[in-house]
Amino acid sequence: MVSALLISVGAVSGISAFLALLMVIADATIANYGDVKITINGDKELDVKGGKPLLGILMEEGIFIPSACGGRGSCGLCKVRVTEGAGQFLPTELPWLTEEDKAANIRLSCQLKVKNDMFIEIPEELFNVRQFRSRVSSLRDLTHDIKELRLELIDPAEIEMLPGQFVQLQTPEYELTDEPVYRAYSVSSDTKDRRRIELEIRLVPNGICTTYVHNYLKEGDEIIFNGPYGDFHLRETEREIIFIAGGSGMAPIKSILLNMADEGSTRRARYFFGARSTRDLFLVDKMRELEEKLPNFTFIPALSNPEPDDNWKGATGLITDVVADHLESGDNVEAYLCGSPGMIDACIKVLTDKGVPEELIYYDKFG
Amino acid sequence: MSPETAYPVAIFFAAIFTNNILLSNYLGMCSFLSVSREIKTSIGLGVAVIFVMASTSMLNWVVYYKILIPLELEYLRFIIFIIVIAAFVQLVEMIIERVSEVLYTALGIFLPLITVNCAILGVSLFMVIREYSFIESFTFGLGSGIGWFLAIMAMAGIRQKLKRARIPRGLEGAGISLIITGMMALAFMGFSGMLPIG
Amino acid sequence: MKQTPQMKKIQENMRPGVLTLRGFLGADTRDLVEILEGDAAEVRRIGTTHRAIADRMRYLRDQGMRGLGEFIDVEPHFEVRVDSVRGGIPSPFGDAGLIRKTNTTVRNKVLGREIFYTDVNIHLIGDHGFYEGRGSLFRMEPHELAEILEVETEQQQTELPG
Repeated sequence: MVSALLISVGAVSGISAFLALLMVIADATIANYGDVKITINGDKELDVKGGKPLLGILMEEGIFIPSACGGRGSCGLCKVRVTEGAGQFLPTELPWLTEEDKAANIRLSCQLKVKNDMFIEIPEELFNVRQFRSRVSSLRDLTHDIKELRLELIDPAEIEMLPGQFVQLQTPEYELTDEPVYRAYSVSSDTKDRRRIELEIRLVPNGICTTYVHNYLKEGDEIIFNGPYGDFHLRETEREIIFIAGGSGMAPIKSILLNMADEGSTRRARYFFGARSTRDLFLVDKMRELEEKLPNFTFIPALSNPEPDDNWKGATGLITDVVADHLESGDNVEAYLCGSPGMIDACIKVLTDKGVPEELIYYDKFG
Repeated sequence: MSPETAYPVAIFFAAIFTNNILLSNYLGMCSFLSVSREIKTSIGLGVAVIFVMASTSMLNWVVYYKILIPLELEYLRFIIFIIVIAAFVQLVEMIIERVSEVLYTALGIFLPLITVNCAILGVSLFMVIREYSFIESFTFGLGSGIGWFLAIMAMAGIRQKLKRARIPRGLEGAGISLIITGMMALAFMGFSGMLPIG
Repeated sequence: MKQTPQMKKIQENMRPGVLTLRGFLGADTRDLVEILEGDAAEVRRIGTTHRAIADRMRYLRDQGMRGLGEFIDVEPHFEVRVDSVRGGIPSPFGDAGLIRKTNTTVRNKVLGREIFYTDVNIHLIGDHGFYEGRGSLFRMEPHELAEILEVETEQQQTELPG
């Protein structure tokens, strides 16, 4: 009886142990891709452990390829050119790659696993992108749904960026989420101050990051972001500038204006700020300050639906109409727009009708 | 054909038609009902099932006749068969992922789903009950897999047609699927008597 | 009921806190495939298609964009307001890139009812027949949508031919 028991237990354990051993060996050999080398742009070499997707490996090495979906393969932003060592296209990559992409060896780095040595090419600007640890130095309301977030950098202690660029703020796991999430926000502070950045964050009803910032984040908390990204910035010309942006679209414009004040720019500039009523206006005093500092700058707020007790004396109507009224001609004018796609399209039409060439109209595309 | 060579062949065809593991023995229904919504995924899962059934029937034959019987541990077969199937599937998944990423996304993702498919265990257990030889186990496993594949492909095809049909509210989803499966089973009963087995 | 691994992944994406704060499933405990089948049958019963409903939603949104964030009249008797916030959400089905966060509010003046939807809803309904789980903030009942937006339907036979 006892011997039968021992034999049966022994047999089951023996077989299970043998199979488990097989698994371990397999894991160490078959599933182990060993060390591989990734060569970037022909000169930079990385020695990494193979087996994981390219996006993650690059991120661990401090190279941040843009991604909005956390590597799930849902956004299509993380494209990288892989000239050698990539293997066949995966079914999960194909929806995102055009015929030109495929011919140019462009791959979706969050799906492509690094199993052998690779040669890849990345745009130079991405090397300037870093991950920063920072501390919340202030968090205050600008309007009923926009908060101004000021961060002091801890490590690295300084960030070099152009006014108009944006960063990706990381929302850590909190009560309502299971994993970190990244969202992009334009920097609204003077970029001359490399130790601090300021963001304007508008509360979005179902938003993971904005709910975190508005309801959970406190002064003194630490928060991570990476950047800088984006090619929305002031061009070095002598042309007259038209800025059009409402709500949290003000952020990059404010950064650009602060920078212009630092440089003592004498370029003629007008900023058309569209809002619905006075409760959507903010930082008007800051704009008036800038009007003092920049002799040729005018701030023109326009309300589309002022309340009777607002006693509004300024411009009224849709922002496109206000711009059309004020802009005499498009000669020697360049425009910078930041806002919703509908607003941008409508403004582009007004501007081109007035003679502003389309290639001189710059807009922050991710609105 | 002598009985020794005829038998495995007969078992093979019986496993597909007259003794279909799904339509005659009602094993492997859960993934059958859920995956048969789409033809493409049905193909992927079906091929994976054929592969795993054929392989595990052979593996489990070896384990049963060379390890369990000599040690008089036949009663442990339920546990041991499952352990062997799970380990095998895990190994295969790793190998496929290594060898071909494309094959992995087409087939490999179904492997965890069929580890717990009762049809796989059922094949091994039938093999024991019916005292099949090694060759017979292999043809039985292969045939059962093909039979299961046939059933899921037929179901996927029928469901494509169903998309345009008006179905009474109460029968939507599982209701109509099971009725159809029953009808398919009845149809397959028509094959009985075709072969000198079962 | 078991789902394919792909469906499981998509359902995971729909959970709260993954793509949006409250997710897309609301309080619905059913599997994604059951939700999709239920709504598909409903839409068939009304006598229209997912595409038709999504096209109508898109049409009203495009007309409403001219208002630049204010209510604007759209023929024959609608008032539509469209506004956007920055950024985009990837589709839980992983097949539409980053969808803009554009919100459309439609008022049907004749019926006296109002409905609210986002660009994500337009994609989910038109490309996948997904109207969100019961109890979700943005759940749209197909028949309500069809009624308020006045989607063209064909009257369906409810009796079996005698």
